[in-house]
Amino acid sequence: MTGALEVGLVAFVLACAVATALLRDVLGSIIAFGAYSLGIAVIWVFLRAPDVGLTEAAVGAGIMTVLFLLTIAKTVRPADDEVLESVDLRALAVSLALVAVLSTTLVALPAVGDPGSAVASDNVTDYYLDNAYEETEVKNAVTAVLAAYRGFDTLGEAVVVYSAGIGLLVVLDREVLG
Amino acid sequence: MSDAEEVPVGDGAAAEDGRGLYVESPIIMTTVRIITPFVFTLGLFVMFHGADSSGGGFQGGVIVGTVVLMLAIAFGIETTRDWVGPRLAVALVGLGVLAFLLTGIGSVLLGGGFLEYEVYPVPHAIKYGIEFVELAIGLVVSGIVTGLFFVIAAGMADDGSDLA
Repeated sequence: MTGALEVGLVAFVLACAVATALLRDVLGSIIAFGAYSLGIAVIWVFLRAPDVGLTEAAVGAGIMTVLFLLTIAKTVRPADDEVLESVDLRALAVSLALVAVLSTTLVALPAVGDPGSAVASDNVTDYYLDNAYEETEVKNAVTAVLAAYRGFDTLGEAVVVYSAGIGLLVVLDREVLG
Repeated sequence: MSDAEEVPVGDGAAAEDGRGLYVESPIIMTTVRIITPFVFTLGLFVMFHGADSSGGGFQGGVIVGTVVLMLAIAFGIETTRDWVGPRLAVALVGLGVLAFLLTGIGSVLLGGGFLEYEVYPVPHAIKYGIEFVELAIGLVVSGIVTGLFFVIAAGMADDGSDLA
């Protein structure tokens, strides 16, 4: 059950991805990448995952674009007038082969919304959906799983963000930490 | 990828003509001045309301961090960095992780399991425990976002502005 809107979105995202890879102007490439993230965010909403969509929109389309723009402000544009990057055919062949191999796993995925899929029929899912509202008193089951049932995992995520971020700050910066 | 070889990396064209990355624009300044409180409120809403609707600490933290980015783009990166101070972002990150960790350790000290919110002697302990943890995550993420922004923007000529 895919409507024209979903097909259009996927085509838009794919076009943006190809444009990101092929555009010679880095600024254009970054703008295409921002559009790609925005398209992915809308697709997440279509797939009933608004939490993930919000993250993609805020991080992928928002912050990453700003950070990329800041980074290329330190570079200069290529001198020639070519619009597209010249494609290395051997690299393209390797990429296509990789995509083809990875695509073989697609048939193993359940259809979107399939009631018989492991996600929908699993005991753990049933437990969360049956008990999350009473046990945690929050209305968003995703948050209940993330911060209560799987709080330890989320602590690990926060520590990963902390370590990666502080590591980057230490490497990149002499002023912040002295 | 072949761009990297052809593009001389340095202070770049913007810095060469002495103008810097920051461009003073009354339109951007006015817009940012008006929408900043709303964006900040939206960030806090996403952070706190993540328990009852979409969102949470990660998303809300990014939106709150965006407020500092907008201020910096409107009023000058160096000016904003001086205003925020060099250590605040790092302090926020540390505080967030520490708050999350201590929440877990505190529930062990009170006789429960790690991060077992209901042992805390407050009404609706789990709900408020979840929201407190989301707030801690928000601190971590917003601190990292602002810190990274200032670090990446550092080293570019920037006249700044005394309007911030």
